[in-house]
Amino acid sequence: MTQIARPAPRRLDAFELPSEPGNERLALARVAETVQGLGLSESRLEKLKTAVAEATMNAIEHGNGNRAEIPVEVEVTQDGDDIVVAISDQGGDAAGQAGPAQEPDLLQKLDGAQSPRGWGLFLIRNMVDAMDITTNGQRHTIWLTMRTGGAAHGEHV
Amino acid sequence: MASMCEATTRVLPGAAVIEISGEVDGSAADVLTNAYQAAVGTDADLGTVVLDFSAVDYINSTGIALIVSVLARARAERRKVVACGLSQHYREIFDITRVSDFIELFPDLDHAVSQLTGPAA
Repeated sequence: MTQIARPAPRRLDAFELPSEPGNERLALARVAETVQGLGLSESRLEKLKTAVAEATMNAIEHGNGNRAEIPVEVEVTQDGDDIVVAISDQGGDAAGQAGPAQEPDLLQKLDGAQSPRGWGLFLIRNMVDAMDITTNGQRHTIWLTMRTGGAAHGEHV
Repeated sequence: MASMCEATTRVLPGAAVIEISGEVDGSAADVLTNAYQAAVGTDADLGTVVLDFSAVDYINSTGIALIVSVLARARAERRKVVACGLSQHYREIFDITRVSDFIELFPDLDHAVSQLTGPAA
């Protein structure tokens, strides 16, 4: 049986941002520019941008505690048909103690039984084809995967 | 962080319109709260609040939370909330979060207003 070698993952970009509120906009703009022309439709690019913004915002706020001197690290990789965006902070300890996030329930939020907030991870999960979270000591990383060229995540092509 | 969100209000017969522009994120809290208050004023009979997102280019999860807070307040005051002018992407987010179960969506302000002020079916 002939096996076709899978190309090695290719790093497209890597950058750091100070942990300051609002810098998620810089992350989404730079990732959008990086993946331009790689086969994501406009609607899927919008989803990836939202996921990147939400993950970066979590990293700034919850991971690094809005401490500007601790950077959020963003890496964009192409692995075959997958675009993978890894967003890392230094909040590994806090992530380990936080426990599972409460699933947002709009009716409970409207009734005051849940905080109106808490949509971030929910939105991310629903925007990308796969979301993984890893923790290695202090380093906490969220991995966002978006497939190119296919009808992933219920999109009609 | 300075807010990149602005809102203007105007009152129609039976409804108030809040025209939002810019970015709906955490920094927009005061803008939206004040706009809602200005829109409904002291009119306890005002039945509907229209949120016009035509000039909005960014909504994040904190912005969704602010919209949920506006909706919660309106429901407590027995007012209906409708929205218009959302891009396809944000319409989808309103669907995913189920906000669109509670806020009727219209393509634009003309459709919303004609539906609200037109003759009853």
